[in-house]
Amino acid sequence: MRDRIRACFRPAAGAAARRAARSAAAAFGVTAGLSISAFAQTAFTLPSPPFELPLVPTLSGTWTATIGAEGAYKPDFEGARTSMLSPVPIASIRRAGSPDAFRSPRDSASIALIDFGDLRAGPAGKFVPARNQASNAALRGLGDVNAAFELGGFIEFFPVDWFRLRNETRAGLGGHGGVVSDFSADFIVPVTRALTISAGPRFTFESAAATAPYFSINQAQAMASGLAAFNARGGAHAAGVGAQVRYRINPQWEVHSYVEYQRLLGDAARSPLVTVRGSANQTTVGIGASYSFDFKIR
Amino acid sequence: MQLTGRRVAFTMLMLVVLGHSASALFETRDAKLQAVRTVGIISALGDGFIFSKAGLTGFGNPGRSVSIASWALDDVFTQQASALLSSRFQIKPVSYSRANFVAITESPLRPVELIRDRFRKLVETEVTPQGLDALVVITRARADLGAGGRKVEGIGLVTYSTMTESYSAIHALYEIRVVDGKTFEVIEKLAAGPVDSTTDFRLAGPSRLLDQGVEDSSDVASDERLHGAILDLITRSLPTTLQDMHLR
Repeated sequence: MRDRIRACFRPAAGAAARRAARSAAAAFGVTAGLSISAFAQTAFTLPSPPFELPLVPTLSGTWTATIGAEGAYKPDFEGARTSMLSPVPIASIRRAGSPDAFRSPRDSASIALIDFGDLRAGPAGKFVPARNQASNAALRGLGDVNAAFELGGFIEFFPVDWFRLRNETRAGLGGHGGVVSDFSADFIVPVTRALTISAGPRFTFESAAATAPYFSINQAQAMASGLAAFNARGGAHAAGVGAQVRYRINPQWEVHSYVEYQRLLGDAARSPLVTVRGSANQTTVGIGASYSFDFKIR
Repeated sequence: MQLTGRRVAFTMLMLVVLGHSASALFETRDAKLQAVRTVGIISALGDGFIFSKAGLTGFGNPGRSVSIASWALDDVFTQQASALLSSRFQIKPVSYSRANFVAITESPLRPVELIRDRFRKLVETEVTPQGLDALVVITRARADLGAGGRKVEGIGLVTYSTMTESYSAIHALYEIRVVDGKTFEVIEKLAAGPVDSTTDFRLAGPSRLLDQGVEDSSDVASDERLHGAILDLITRSLPTTLQDMHLR
């Protein structure tokens, strides 16, 4: 089987390799199809990779893959009055049996390099999409803001299993060069084995360099947009609350829904972009479903 | 032209050397195990049965450990692993200080765990006889439980409370290392996986929901039902784990 998979990766390996690739693919498809219908058992088995990297843990064993989709109805841009529906893919792979660690919709991608169980910390990163003036009439005359990567770290503390405190502090690269610090608290209540509800307050602090590209209006932008010139400074940026419901229908299927409300504060709320053409009240609503299946690497 | 030919020859020689080095560097664990003939087995899970609580619990809720020395689980592991591996390897008896292996705990710094294996030095200094091709080291493992940061470890019972119900599950969390008997490099390491994926209970290791609760008592050692259930988890998970490690 391993030889067959290797053959798949050799582009000019000839007809024999192509036949092997076809039979491997067919075997893979048949195995996957049969086993997925056999509800909750290992869906298929993949061969171990032909080489291994030093220090990288073994890939052998059983893994759980989760795939799904979410629809998020969120403001067009930060401070917008109008919202739009965006699809969000869900994909993750973890060791079989591992529970889903609690995750708030606002959490950035992160890895816990330090893990005491109740206290975790590690790097965190977030992608902030570009803001194009052509995408919304309210942005007319304000120019574009490039996409930004925010890189930093997170720390979270669980004094008990059902309560989480988390801070993420990230520095921007690209669209903004400031610092963003998100604070959140979540009460995580398992109502039944299948149903978990969570909710809690949120607060965001941003430096002037993180706020200005999105909320300042210089003289040229004022002339072009018809809005008053404005110099946005940093400080308290937003405060709000969020809630989430997760329901596991069976070991494979799970559905979830959430709502996140935040009210812009400080100069973000005072910017003419928000006071004249937008809104300080920002609400995001999401709903999604995911399917999990096990596969084995041996 | 001759210079170009030499360059080509030199480049090809370098590619061969680099390819050989790379194949040694990226050699699979499976390939490394091919040379192993003699194996010693070390089992050091300890004698503790840990009661823990998770879910909707109060503050300050550490697990409580009671002794199950009479179950002699490390002997069970050694016997079962020996039986399962004897068809491929020559199993040699080894002596070691079990307490020293049991005392080692996991570092909270994950990169440290990846770079420096905590059992390597013990295997090098405290196991006799030396000179075997490999040592199979079985120790307790930890796994996350629930959405919070709760971790459970080794042999035990966890009671998970929700708003509407509480339920209990037993677990036998262990991991297996194969340590090279000459270089003491860890060739393979794997934590045993779940034995059943059809339940609502999620734990990354052998575990099973209990039909009825168990009192948090110190009389666990005489509870034949629990003893039997833990043995069943070990018996069902060990062959698969060794197979996943390419040892069978």
